[in-house]
Amino acid sequence: MDALGQAERIARAKHVNLSVVVAEALASFLQVEKAREHSAQVLRGYREAFQGFSAEEMMILDGIIPETRKR
Amino acid sequence: MIHPAWGPFLFDTSAESWLARTPLAPAQEWFRQYTELFPVHISAVTVLERTRGYALLWRSESGERRGQIESARIAYLSTLGQVWPVDTTIAVVAAEIMALAPQPPTPAKRSHKFSESRQERLTRWRCDTMIAATALVTRMPLVHNNAGDFEAIRSAVEIDPARFPGLGPLELARCGGLV
Repeated sequence: MDALGQAERIARAKHVNLSVVVAEALASFLQVEKAREHSAQVLRGYREAFQGFSAEEMMILDGIIPETRKR
Repeated sequence: MIHPAWGPFLFDTSAESWLARTPLAPAQEWFRQYTELFPVHISAVTVLERTRGYALLWRSESGERRGQIESARIAYLSTLGQVWPVDTTIAVVAAEIMALAPQPPTPAKRSHKFSESRQERLTRWRCDTMIAATALVTRMPLVHNNAGDFEAIRSAVEIDPARFPGLGPLELARCGGLV
């Protein structure tokens, strides 16, 4: 079923205008897109935070401190 | 398998970096889905451990490398989601765990070119107890990459539940067991 036809069916079933269903669908879509954008931003930030470090340096970033690094 | 929608979860220090760096596609997908649904919950103790690491690396380097480390540190701090402070309740619970298990259950990390002192090991153990206490008080499962320490804390809490009224058990999820 095409999206508009499905929206019309939902509008009839809920006894609301088609515009209400379309507005709700758009709001849901925008919420999902916002979550996706936020997730991408978080993952990008983490990549920048942890890139370019050796395995030993990552241990230090995880709180495992070797004696020679202490100043 | 643990579905991301079953969150939110509290992430241990090494779990946070493991999920952010894993080359395993299913784990990457798990973390992507999770971050669409929830903030990454961590303890302020994780921020302490991590930023101490950045500071030590920065001090051990010079020139351009220092700039790279500082950029990474800023990226980390800018990415933080929900950071839980160590408040009075968490401090009390962590103190009970420390009293029940004063010594680390596993030895210090050692290899041919890497040696963790006993003092550092004890510090890391105490950090783990505060992270576990945060998970208990906030009632979130703890995602970790350190079974030796956190299983010991779970056992300690189960041994004397009367000292943790209304809390527990400590729910644990290994990074490798998420997918």
